[in-house]
Amino acid sequence: MTALSSSIGRKFVMGLTGLFLCFFLVIHLAGNLLLYVGPEAYDHYAHTLHEQKGFLLFAEVFLFTAFIIHILLAVRLSRDNFAARKVSYAKTSSKKGGRLAASVIAPEVWMFWSGAIVLGFLICHLGDFKFEWWWGNEFASSGSEYHKASIILRDPRVLVVYCIGSVILGVHVSHGLASAFQSLGVNHPKYTPVIHWCSIAFGWIVAIGFASFPIAWALTESAATH
Amino acid sequence: MISPVKKNLSLNLRVWRQPSADIPGEFRNYQLSDISPDMSFLEMLDILNEQLVESGEEPVAFDHDCREGICGTCGVVINGQAHGPDNETTTCQLHMRRFADGDTIVIEPWRARAFPVLRDLVVDRSAFDRIVQSGGYVSVRTGQAPDGNAILVPSQDQEEAMDAAACIGCGACVAACKNASAMLFTSAKVSHFANLPQGHPERKKRVLAMISQHDEEGFGACTNTYECEAACPAAISVTHIARLNREYMKAMLTSKE
Repeated sequence: MTALSSSIGRKFVMGLTGLFLCFFLVIHLAGNLLLYVGPEAYDHYAHTLHEQKGFLLFAEVFLFTAFIIHILLAVRLSRDNFAARKVSYAKTSSKKGGRLAASVIAPEVWMFWSGAIVLGFLICHLGDFKFEWWWGNEFASSGSEYHKASIILRDPRVLVVYCIGSVILGVHVSHGLASAFQSLGVNHPKYTPVIHWCSIAFGWIVAIGFASFPIAWALTESAATH
Repeated sequence: MISPVKKNLSLNLRVWRQPSADIPGEFRNYQLSDISPDMSFLEMLDILNEQLVESGEEPVAFDHDCREGICGTCGVVINGQAHGPDNETTTCQLHMRRFADGDTIVIEPWRARAFPVLRDLVVDRSAFDRIVQSGGYVSVRTGQAPDGNAILVPSQDQEEAMDAAACIGCGACVAACKNASAMLFTSAKVSHFANLPQGHPERKKRVLAMISQHDEEGFGACTNTYECEAACPAAISVTHIARLNREYMKAMLTSKE
């Protein structure tokens, strides 16, 4: 708890929770990819997972706690960082050179806002799949999770929200993953460049991976109607 | 470097003018002509001040001392970049040949809550002194100078310590950081001593005290954007920030105090 009283301590916990959330993304994406294998594989995975009630409860509480800590620290750190410069510059210009593509997107500059968008996406996503807020009894007919996912992923609103959400999530983790290592004190001439490129690759995988599902379903849908 | 024959410059300056800490400031425009491209940036400001004195206006206050990039006294934000467009360069080492005829140059002081503007381009950087006073030292016995080889330091450790010790404390890291964080400065001081045996006895106490002082001064936290490293005239690397993070967490978890 005392670690949370200093800027470095907060960043350390931010990095730890961030790394854990990245780990969760890997597991989540791996599970989702079973959607491409077929209904049986996906349903088998979903049912097996849902049967592990104790594990699931533990995992969900742990995950939820990590999210809450990550978000609260983000709010606290951003507030302090914002307050650290009362008068802003009339003109600002980066002195970093080289990274052409990355410097245009510059994920490190708007981590708080990309995080806020991801939070919005997360709420929409939980509203769709977990709490079924925006869905009536469409899923009642079959107990198939694949069937449920197909109905949700076909929706045009889902296509837009999930594509934007996934891309912003990719941008967020492309800086977040490498940054977490730095905050945890891991910086080495041999490994840091590797971590940097892995982080960018991870961002692309997350963005393309998660956005691919609604796109794939939209393409199947349009192929079916033609 | 011998500059090619280049004609003298006419410049539009937009300079931050603020009479004192408690009076709000504003930008004022000045025209300069016949500026030699071989002048340093500070010499250009000297010319501006001569012009202002002649016209009866208060000259622009700016910090400077050695004018050879060692003392860390000078430093202004030039067109949005701390110490101007060149890497590993202080404001006094910047030459007017980096600018083109007719350019508009915006000159601002370091902006940070912990560095209040005292006047025009001069800011109060005593927050850095207080960070150093809180732990950026080693306690040694007074008396005769100790034997030079009493404590052996491996050459690579000495090199790394020296890289960190190159920090001149100018504050460009704070000025360039979007969070006005002084992590690069603080990490250079912590890393300097952490790499040397002389720094080991007070290692934990030092890092805890310095970070506590850093936060108390109102500097922001590090978000790993690495603008500090790019702006640093002494080329202090962000690896020192990673070492600072390690030192801090180790001290936090194991300190008995």
